[in-house]
Amino acid sequence: MRLPLALLIARRELRAGLSGFRVFLLCLALGVAAIAGVGTLKAALLAGLAADARLLVGGDVELRLTHRPASAEQLEYLAEAGVVAHSIEMRAMARVGDERRALVEVKAVDAAYPLYGALSLEPADARLGPAATDLPPAFAEPGLLRRLQLEPGGVLTIGKQDYRVVARLLREPDRGADGVEFGPRLMLPLEGFAATGLVQEGSLIRFVYKLKLSQDRTVGSFLRQLSTRFPDAGWRIRDSAADAPGMRGFIERLHLFMTLVGLTTLLVGGVGIANAIKSYLDGKVATIATLKCLGAPGGLVFASYLAQVLVLAGLGVLAGLALGALLPVLLSGALAGLLPFQARLGLYWQPLALAAAFGILTTLAFAVWPLARAREVPAAALFRSLLLPPARLPRPRYVLGVGLALAALIGLAVASADDRPFALWFVGGAAGAFVLFYAAGRLATWSARAAGRPRLPALRLALANLHRPGAATVGVLLSFGLGLSVLVAVAQIQGNLAAQVRDRLPAQAPAFFFVDIQPDQIDEFRAIAAGLPGTGETVAVPSLRGRIVAVNGVPAGQVAVKPDGAWALRGDRGLTYAATPPDGAEIVAGRWWPADYAGPPLVSFDAGVAAALGVGVGDRLTVNVLGRDIEARIASLRRIDWSTLGMNFAIVFAPGLLEAAPHSFIATAKAADGAEGALEAAVVNRFPNVSAIRVKDALEAANRILANVGLAVRVTAAVTLLAGLLVLAGAIAAGHRRRVYDAVVLKVLGATRAVVMRTNALEFLLLGGFATLLATAVGSLAAFVVVTHVMHQPWLFLPATMAATALGGLAATLVLGFLGTLRALAQRPTPLLRNA
Amino acid sequence: MIQLDDVRLSLPSDAGMVDILRGCGLTVAAGESVAVVGPSGSGKSSLLAVIAGLERPTGGSVHVAGCRLDALGEDALALFRRDNVGIVFQSFHLIPSMSALENVALPLELAGRRDAWARAEEGLRAVGLGHRLKHYPGQLSGGEQQRVALARALACRPKLLLADEPTGNLDGNTGRQIVDLLFQSQRASGATLLLVTHDMTLARRCERLIAMADGRVLTPVSVAGRAAEG
Repeated sequence: MRLPLALLIARRELRAGLSGFRVFLLCLALGVAAIAGVGTLKAALLAGLAADARLLVGGDVELRLTHRPASAEQLEYLAEAGVVAHSIEMRAMARVGDERRALVEVKAVDAAYPLYGALSLEPADARLGPAATDLPPAFAEPGLLRRLQLEPGGVLTIGKQDYRVVARLLREPDRGADGVEFGPRLMLPLEGFAATGLVQEGSLIRFVYKLKLSQDRTVGSFLRQLSTRFPDAGWRIRDSAADAPGMRGFIERLHLFMTLVGLTTLLVGGVGIANAIKSYLDGKVATIATLKCLGAPGGLVFASYLAQVLVLAGLGVLAGLALGALLPVLLSGALAGLLPFQARLGLYWQPLALAAAFGILTTLAFAVWPLARAREVPAAALFRSLLLPPARLPRPRYVLGVGLALAALIGLAVASADDRPFALWFVGGAAGAFVLFYAAGRLATWSARAAGRPRLPALRLALANLHRPGAATVGVLLSFGLGLSVLVAVAQIQGNLAAQVRDRLPAQAPAFFFVDIQPDQIDEFRAIAAGLPGTGETVAVPSLRGRIVAVNGVPAGQVAVKPDGAWALRGDRGLTYAATPPDGAEIVAGRWWPADYAGPPLVSFDAGVAAALGVGVGDRLTVNVLGRDIEARIASLRRIDWSTLGMNFAIVFAPGLLEAAPHSFIATAKAADGAEGALEAAVVNRFPNVSAIRVKDALEAANRILANVGLAVRVTAAVTLLAGLLVLAGAIAAGHRRRVYDAVVLKVLGATRAVVMRTNALEFLLLGGFATLLATAVGSLAAFVVVTHVMHQPWLFLPATMAATALGGLAATLVLGFLGTLRALAQRPTPLLRNA
Repeated sequence: MIQLDDVRLSLPSDAGMVDILRGCGLTVAAGESVAVVGPSGSGKSSLLAVIAGLERPTGGSVHVAGCRLDALGEDALALFRRDNVGIVFQSFHLIPSMSALENVALPLELAGRRDAWARAEEGLRAVGLGHRLKHYPGQLSGGEQQRVALARALACRPKLLLADEPTGNLDGNTGRQIVDLLFQSQRASGATLLLVTHDMTLARRCERLIAMADGRVLTPVSVAGRAAEG
């Protein structure tokens, strides 16, 4: 009987409309939309990634070898498995005459390419096949043509060979899924590529074999057979079944981070929910007392108002879900240019269900408390003035209810995260921040009361507003403080990453990396660099590629390695040999070999990677160089600062072993700003096979990626602050009647508008200033922990970023407060003063 | 002290402009006490609002304490009130978030008085509330709240004391006490008093009585001639 009656009462009450619940609905919808949107986006991206995996890999399986092609026996085996597309990938300089040149990512392909998907060309019918032109044909990205001031039909030179550009290359199905690229793509026919003269021993060339397996084979069985047949081939394998693990990991990490930010939005919004419910119920004291006078038990009152709140929560959640589900659609245009694959748009019910659950649980966690308090309104409240009995704890069952809702919220947040320990840390941090801001709110209230009577009337009034009964001080500090903390943290984390790339590096970084310098060219290279004015220090070292295949005899695949060192075992790495320690090397264990060392193979190893692998001086590393396994003992460990972009090698061999192997040199050169062009021209024109990588360009490429990711993260964080501001606006709106009344009475007593404004401005300055100060500290601490402990980067204190974020937040508080005050001041006084 | 000439006040409403004051003239000398009587809606309170500078007339001129109010801006009016006027309302209009003492000290603080707190305390003692200094309005009875409001109105020793139905929310006995206090204070300070009321007994305690109807001041009634109305 009781429930239907409760619903009946709820329905009647809801007829009055939703006006008091705008902030409630907006906060809830915003939080749910953030979580639903981020979840749907992830689902759409992963679905797209899975569907496009074969396109991204460019085959069912891709095998890559560095420095050397596959053997005839291997090629024969591959050809039996299905259709093979051969290609060569390398960096090279494209030149037009002696003046115009650009670093390009060359891909020389055979007729079978592409196995899946199609190139997008302009004109669309262009071919790399047997030349219809006098010169071999080439496809070039529009960016390259712009840089070389070339039109289709024009001629460019790679190494010793001229090519005629026959089409603009607009899209390449298997591009962008691997690694950083330094230049635009130039696609050439594989046939005749040798004429460029770039295929030299020791040059950094990748031989790529993409396979379309015949119908009777699966990726898994093929890969198993392949590893049995050629256990030591040393190729890097990518397959479509693993759907681009790097990309997937990236999407999952980004999703986790943005979901947590979304949860913070809900947490912040929860304060708004509680505030809205409290102020709604404050206006319902007479109704509740009347209901009780007429014989309604407390439980009925609670059930009726809970039903109202849940109906409203349902509306807010639905609005949030609709918005969240649409987010990927809205973003699809922007994403298309950033990703090498298409997001599969659609309705994904799991992320929506999860977001709805978060929304309802948050509502319950924040609503039950004020509802339980309202249940205790005595019938006698009708006869007494609005002096309610002092606040006390709700009945135990309601406290338990709040606890259960919170526990469910935490459980869901942790259980649904891809990285549970990180999610747990987040929950702990969020709870800590919540308690801290709550305590700060109480402290602010107490201090305002304890401050006594400052001489300045505006200040005294402002302080009185902060501590008067029913002041929103605690709620505003909580919500606005939490929201701003998230933004400060995100801004600092992103600022740190960007600063690493932008500010810290170029001061020490060279102007160029010159790669693929042949041994017979190195002396002349040095002479050219030394002879040019404005060219600074030049360092050239031998460069080979090799892969760690075993550690102390244990195959690399079976070595237990900590995550931060796993990269060293993935694929091939650059290595070198040296008689003397590199400049600035810091030997932390063992000793460097004598300059005239001749004996069994020794290496000097990166101390960080050694720690991750659990090895030290005296342990053995097996490195595969050019297909040959070399076992060497670790003679010393060096601490390497990878962030300097200098010439660093994780593995340095002692002399006497690799000199005879085919290899090239890599050189760094510093150059004054005006001298860069001359240095590049002199080297590249003399040695067509040498590629010059402009460090600034490479850094810009990395910056662009960071900026895109940073934007996504910052937008999500801004949503949190928006929720905080909504709660703030709600608190200001809730206090509007009081503010208008105060303003009118003050004016009657002779206060000018300026005094009223000053009073309100001081109130918001005190409140906003305190919240901003705390949020800056909390956000910076969070950023410090994430940067140093999660990302393992050195911490850079960014006062300007911090100040800009904090001041922006403070300004937002003041503007909102100011608008509220203006509205209050605009009221005519007499209607309020009329005799009631 | 007060000189009104042909004062008109029209206010917008849902049904169009409403003429509230339709050409009022009134002269009150300094130190006089004047009661304004009339039926509800006759414009008594609006007249008081115009004299207090709370409402700006649509036409006519208003001179109070040597200032021409109809020419002043909002802030100048606020300063004028601060320096010249004390007002007592039927609904008290105390600030609920401030204690009795803080409420009374407020106009003194706004006037920049360094002895605000001492004078506020003195004022509250004078109205018999020396034991209620730290109480909030919600903790005081209606009579006590009106005494706080009176102490606040008198705090800056205004030249003009305005009272709008000061006993309207109080029982007879409490009302009488407040009125006694009001007249005592007025006599002691030599302020001019303009009292809006329904209560003829209260009105008769003033030296002069004027009646209003339909937004106009009727023929001024002398104290001597008021028996005709009673």
